[in-house]
Amino acid sequence: MSAVISAQNVRKRFGDHEVLRGISLDLAEHEVVCLIGASGSGKSTLLRCLNLLETIDEGDIVFRGQSLTDARIDPNLVRRHISIVFQAFNLFPHLSVLDNVMLGPVRALGRSRDEVKVEAMELLERIGLAPRALEFPDRLSGGQQQRVAIVRSLAMKPDVLLLDEVTSALDPTLVGEVLDLLTDLARGGTTMLIATHEMNFARNVADRVVFLHNGEIVESGTPSQIFDQPREAATAAFLSRVN
Amino acid sequence: MRGLKSLTTLAAGSALVLSGLVVSTGSATATTAIAQCQASFKSGHLPLVSAGKLTVASDINNGLYQPWFGANGNPSTGKGYESALAYAIAKDLGITSKNVKWTAEAFDSSFAPGSKNFDFDINEISVTADRAQVVDFSNSYYNVQQSIVALKTNAIVKHHSATDLKNYTYGDQIGTTGLDYINNHIKPTKQVHVYNTLDEAVAALTAGQVDAIVVDTPTGQYMAAAQIVNSKNKTIATQVGQFPTAGEHYGLLFEKGNTLVGCVNAAIADLTTKGTIKSLQSQYLGIYNKVPKLTPIQP
Amino acid sequence: MGRRAAVASSLSSAIIVGLIIWFFWRAPNGANVRHFFLDPHSFWINLTGDPSRSLYSILRCFETNVWMFMLCEALVLIFGLGLAWLRLSRTPILAPLRVASAIYTDVFRGIPIILVLFAVGYGVPGMQAGWISQRTPITYACATLVITYSAYVAEVYRAGMNSVPNGQVMAARSLGLSDVQTMRRVILPQAVRNVVPPLLNDFISLQKDTALVGTLGIVEANQAAHVFGAMEFNYTGYTVAALLFLALTIPMTRYTDHLIAKDRRRRLAGGTV
Repeated sequence: MSAVISAQNVRKRFGDHEVLRGISLDLAEHEVVCLIGASGSGKSTLLRCLNLLETIDEGDIVFRGQSLTDARIDPNLVRRHISIVFQAFNLFPHLSVLDNVMLGPVRALGRSRDEVKVEAMELLERIGLAPRALEFPDRLSGGQQQRVAIVRSLAMKPDVLLLDEVTSALDPTLVGEVLDLLTDLARGGTTMLIATHEMNFARNVADRVVFLHNGEIVESGTPSQIFDQPREAATAAFLSRVN
Repeated sequence: MRGLKSLTTLAAGSALVLSGLVVSTGSATATTAIAQCQASFKSGHLPLVSAGKLTVASDINNGLYQPWFGANGNPSTGKGYESALAYAIAKDLGITSKNVKWTAEAFDSSFAPGSKNFDFDINEISVTADRAQVVDFSNSYYNVQQSIVALKTNAIVKHHSATDLKNYTYGDQIGTTGLDYINNHIKPTKQVHVYNTLDEAVAALTAGQVDAIVVDTPTGQYMAAAQIVNSKNKTIATQVGQFPTAGEHYGLLFEKGNTLVGCVNAAIADLTTKGTIKSLQSQYLGIYNKVPKLTPIQP
Repeated sequence: MGRRAAVASSLSSAIIVGLIIWFFWRAPNGANVRHFFLDPHSFWINLTGDPSRSLYSILRCFETNVWMFMLCEALVLIFGLGLAWLRLSRTPILAPLRVASAIYTDVFRGIPIILVLFAVGYGVPGMQAGWISQRTPITYACATLVITYSAYVAEVYRAGMNSVPNGQVMAARSLGLSDVQTMRRVILPQAVRNVVPPLLNDFISLQKDTALVGTLGIVEANQAAHVFGAMEFNYTGYTVAALLFLALTIPMTRYTDHLIAKDRRRRLAGGTV
């Protein structure tokens, strides 16, 4: 099975500090991969590099056989296929919930408002927020906002969904509703790369777990391999700290 | 250059150099009056703001110009009509020229409420009834005629019949009798441009923003002969012509109620009798009689 | 505010206003000053004008201030935005324009507007460079106001744009919105909301600075008051002009406050489907 997206020996430096030191990672169609690792291990940077929010210094990113480091590539086109959800939601506060969801499809994809509105309302229905479609984000709880942010990405019908610690900024009581949505998406076959600190969630949902340490992939395997029989000392040390 | 300032609501009403002298018309009484004034100066009874000195104001900070003052803008040289006249008045009252002190007074503040720090202000100020309610004026020391100044290349130089004159764009300094003359006698069809200073009106004339400006003949003469030049210092303006006098005249400005005005009028009368004023006018202002006459438009 | 506090504050305001009025009324030369600034007869002549004495109707002249202000404000909003946009753009080919826009804002924020007015109003026509030198004084005046205020407003916009969190840009970009779409749909609407009060400040200044254009010979409200002062030796015209300016700026301020409050309520209130 060919990869939807793959990082090939990606290196990224911020000044003198090398954040990614030769990362190679493939994501197959319908695959759910969880990225784990301590804060600062490079998870967020890797996700941002994958949808070209950051440029890489070495290596390549290949999307469906096409190199994205090619200068002729329009990043805006790439991002319509590879969508990212942030830790801080980043909903647009001046737009209603519905308009947040519709903005991408209507403006970036140029689709008709009426058609997009039907789909957006279906997505909001799915997360139980359809009745609040015309409210502004400030009125919603953190968990509700993050679910809207996920749905906003889904409205673009991306090939790959990147999730950057989407529950880290949430009150613990609100984490569940977001993880439930992600579980639901995983079951529905959405291709996802999820940077997370939620180990139980990773164990239940991931097809594969990748442990990142100091900008390198130390270990990668099925959840039971990683969580139950880590081969590397760094992995074991990390897991013992978070559990 | 500070030009003319005001309305012509007070009619001096004659082509005579001086009209309506208050103190006297006869030489004998004039001489008596001036002798009394000289005596009261000697005894220290002349009401001066600074004892023993005559403090004269003009718009020094905005620049003093020929032919009213000397070439360098310094009022204390005795050169130029107004400077020379101020010294002549002082001398006639028995005040030596080293006791004549000059002080700066902007035109705009000369009529503000409050007391004045000068004995009189000499600044080409036209006498009007409205102004005379706020300040006091001496009798006339100069009767004014208005004239048109334009660039040599402007159509107004050749076409200035009574009807032609209505069709040009005029500019002038705020509060001047020139501006009033435009509005009440020329009555142009286009809106008049009103500038804060004569410099700005001249800048607008040079830049072609207005066709002509209307100023008193001496000022216009100086503008055309020396002031309005191009980068090679060649004059580019001309005095198209002058209008008949509309009764406007210049007077020295005093603080309201200042009794010094009586002795200054006595001095003006005395200097007129002795022919001093006439000779100063022909020395500094004589060339103005050669300016061509323009047909006025009756109000 | 409690009832007692309300009573106390209105009482203290009344006392202060009363003291000020008393001071002007009782000052040794108060009657003269009142005549000089508040003469009822002059007040009336300033409103109606008197052509026979070359006196303008300040009310009519104020129309010039109003339309100049409205025209210039619209242009300033557009040019200021363009400048701010250039300054914040990251596109390499726009780098020279970015530098130019930075220099432009520095220069025109730093020069007193009256000097720009002189340079444009007398310099440009003085060049005799064809069409551009043959405009009316009011065109040069508007150009000056637009040139100067665009620099002020560009900085206000820029501050507003910088106040929008970077996450908003990231979110917009990750949805595949272009530079222009991100600016138009995400940054600008938020930036403008953040800077309405400082923008309003600049517009009130702009309104007031229309009173400077008399320097170019334009008879607007302030110049008309100046004419009256020079002719009649009385400053009541300035009082009339001041009241007219207040009649324009105070309602505008209140209306903008109202809009801001309405927007806040809308964002915090529940919508209905």
